[in-house]
Amino acid sequence: MNYKKTEIGKNITFTSVVDNKFNTCSLRITMITPMSSLTASDYSVAVNVLSDVNANLPTIAAMNERLSELYGAGLSSSSASRGDLHLLALSASWLADRFALDGENITAEMLKIVTDCLFNPLADENGFNEEIFRLSKKEILDIIDSQLNNKREYAITKALQIAFEGEPAAVISNGTRESAEAVTPLSAYNAYKKLMETGQFDIIFISPVEMPEVAEIFKEKFADVPRKSSNYSFYAPSPLKSAPVVVKEEFDVLQAKIAFILKFDTDDIDAVHLMCIILGATPVSKLFMNVREKLSLCYYCACRMSEFKSSVIIDCGVEKNNIEKATDEIMNQLNEIRNGNISDEELQNALLAIENSYNTFGDSHGSYISWLFDCMCRDEYISPAEQIERFFAVTKERIIKAAENVKLDSTYHMLNKETEQ
Amino acid sequence: MSKKEIITSKCTGDSCIHVKHKSGLDIYIREMPGFSSVYALFGTKYGSINTTFKLAADKDYTSVPNGIAHFLEHKLFENEDCGVFELFAATGAQCNAYTSFDKTCYLFSCSGDYTENLRILLDFVQKPFFTKENVDKEQGIIGQEIRMTNDNPEWRVLFNMLRCMYHEHPVKIDIAGTEESIAQIDADLLYKCYDTFYNLNNMTLSIAGNISADTVLAICDEMLRPCEDKGLETFFPDEPHHIVQPEIREKQAVGASIFNLGFKCIPEAEKFLKKEMSASLAVSYLTDASSDMYNKLLSEGIINGSFGGEVFAGEGFFSVILSGESENPDAVRDAVTAEIKRISDEGINEKTFNRIKKSAYGDLVRQLCSVTSSATVMINTNMSGCKPFDVVDIVSELKAEDALSFIKNELLPDKMVLSVIEKI
Repeated sequence: MNYKKTEIGKNITFTSVVDNKFNTCSLRITMITPMSSLTASDYSVAVNVLSDVNANLPTIAAMNERLSELYGAGLSSSSASRGDLHLLALSASWLADRFALDGENITAEMLKIVTDCLFNPLADENGFNEEIFRLSKKEILDIIDSQLNNKREYAITKALQIAFEGEPAAVISNGTRESAEAVTPLSAYNAYKKLMETGQFDIIFISPVEMPEVAEIFKEKFADVPRKSSNYSFYAPSPLKSAPVVVKEEFDVLQAKIAFILKFDTDDIDAVHLMCIILGATPVSKLFMNVREKLSLCYYCACRMSEFKSSVIIDCGVEKNNIEKATDEIMNQLNEIRNGNISDEELQNALLAIENSYNTFGDSHGSYISWLFDCMCRDEYISPAEQIERFFAVTKERIIKAAENVKLDSTYHMLNKETEQ
Repeated sequence: MSKKEIITSKCTGDSCIHVKHKSGLDIYIREMPGFSSVYALFGTKYGSINTTFKLAADKDYTSVPNGIAHFLEHKLFENEDCGVFELFAATGAQCNAYTSFDKTCYLFSCSGDYTENLRILLDFVQKPFFTKENVDKEQGIIGQEIRMTNDNPEWRVLFNMLRCMYHEHPVKIDIAGTEESIAQIDADLLYKCYDTFYNLNNMTLSIAGNISADTVLAICDEMLRPCEDKGLETFFPDEPHHIVQPEIREKQAVGASIFNLGFKCIPEAEKFLKKEMSASLAVSYLTDASSDMYNKLLSEGIINGSFGGEVFAGEGFFSVILSGESENPDAVRDAVTAEIKRISDEGINEKTFNRIKKSAYGDLVRQLCSVTSSATVMINTNMSGCKPFDVVDIVSELKAEDALSFIKNELLPDKMVLSVIEKI
């Protein structure tokens, strides 16, 4: 893996990757700060404003026109959580200069736009421009409202909130409707300033040609920002509840959903990861082969790990009348692993699936960004090949131990009203 | 004897290989040096709309239950000896399949040695194994898939709109059918559909990434069984130009109301790429985020950043769909109607059109730098009767008048359907 990582300011890392097979450039700036219900909406609205306009492109129309002129360049913001931290990101991507039909310097133009968004937002002493603020706030409120539109994700989010109750990770990254309603142009602007001064910054730039000047641009811009930043730890294990909690809610839906959150207390992350793959991350996993294929109970039944909260998520869409049957089978399959019923073939399949997936690293900008960001979160920079080696060193015994360590914490049921009667 | 040609884009210089294989199969290959993954699609021109068909030797048309193409896709993953997923699992490749309105595709993605995966793909798709037991087993799984998609508001809002737009065309039927329609499916019907549509003359293999064309073709020579072209004919009922009804609203458990605003357009018999791209640029012009209409609706809180449009076209159907979240979709409809009239009266701004064209060009060039997108573009364009880079070349040649003509002649108020999923 060929990358260059430098510290361009206090807790500001800049990582560049040069890969000449691509015809585009990508830039992601992630601002990291503690997650809190008191600040989630302010930060989310703030980054939304940042990606909508800047002082030189002061309207949404002007910004969109410019991006469209630059061959449909993309500029967006996002608000998400990892561990107990809040990740606010500005992302941009654009066509490499050699594809410009009229000789435009697309990269220079995009760097100017992005740096203006970050360092020269449309604001004055009263905060962000009122009109843009109003639109951004509505955008965040709409995102909060639309969570129920995706029933599967909604059920998982509810389960995570139950499992992490009282912890920062239980806060939804955009906040609640109430907290978003309370955001003002000034409170969002103050949140932006606080983020610039105290946030940990991770910048990743991918381009087809070497461009050392990009890091320099950011270094110079940040030199004017008074930084009092902290370096945050992403790992925030969640304590296991004294007894598993089940929460049920009714909706006008046709299919019930179940989401389980299990927690583990082990440093053997690689073994837990492999356990998740064997249990429910492939079409030959235990959950797929049994809950779906053998018992025909569902269309999907899957398992994944939430590394930084030491948790495992299992979810399934099922008839309400079959919830108990599906739950029993899911737990039965987990017990199969605990009891050591892992065939050589299952272990080999899981390892090959991982190897296959990790070996495609580098075929997209997204894979570079995701890998490098994960390395930063783990505070350990290794190559995908090294990670594959670690997985291949995991023994069945370690997987069994990991499965024994994973304990049910919380369950959420989304129920359909009719069948509940 | 197979025929081989190299296809190169005039605009970008990208190229791929097309082979009309002696078996009847169209093969598209794109070697992409520097990439480590391989993505392959083996597909048939058979989707949910192909419910009535015959072969040249048949006297009468056969009609089959709705959802059978999708059901067949599920069942093809079971071999006589073992499941197909298990075969791919032994190599580490990811495999999957999808059924759309007009095609069914089986795919794998992998890194490293792709040859075994290609053999598995070509083998299992040519080897159906349907029994009463394995068909019955699938009813429950697909039943849950149907329920899941019916809880998906984006899916509901689209099919509600299609039902209001099309009187007869089967595009209005859910791709997976209904729990009732799939209950009529049995092994014999599946074999009938398989034998009709899974003929290599009706199929395409598309593969891109870290591959060698010679190796791919050698494997094809080894695995493909020659197929006689049996003269497949699909039947679509006559579809009136007018719509069924202009509006439909349904309440669902959603947090944000969503809408589809569709325009029923006149479908082209074949090679509709130029019309599709004219429509696509017309839609981009109409929904341009720097336009006055967009920014007025945004400022009034009627739309948000989810507002956009697309062209939805296939055999016997062609429509334009604008969509997004809104608590006041009637106002979106009014504004769009007024904007269409204004554009039709005043014409298209040349500068804006050229900017939108540049943006479309940028999107197309970006697509060609992805292994997955490259293979997908190659299969989609072939099944639409075009060549892979025709889109880039056609877009570069389109004029403002093409988009204007589409807006004036096709986006008509009496062909408009508003479908809304509202909060309960």
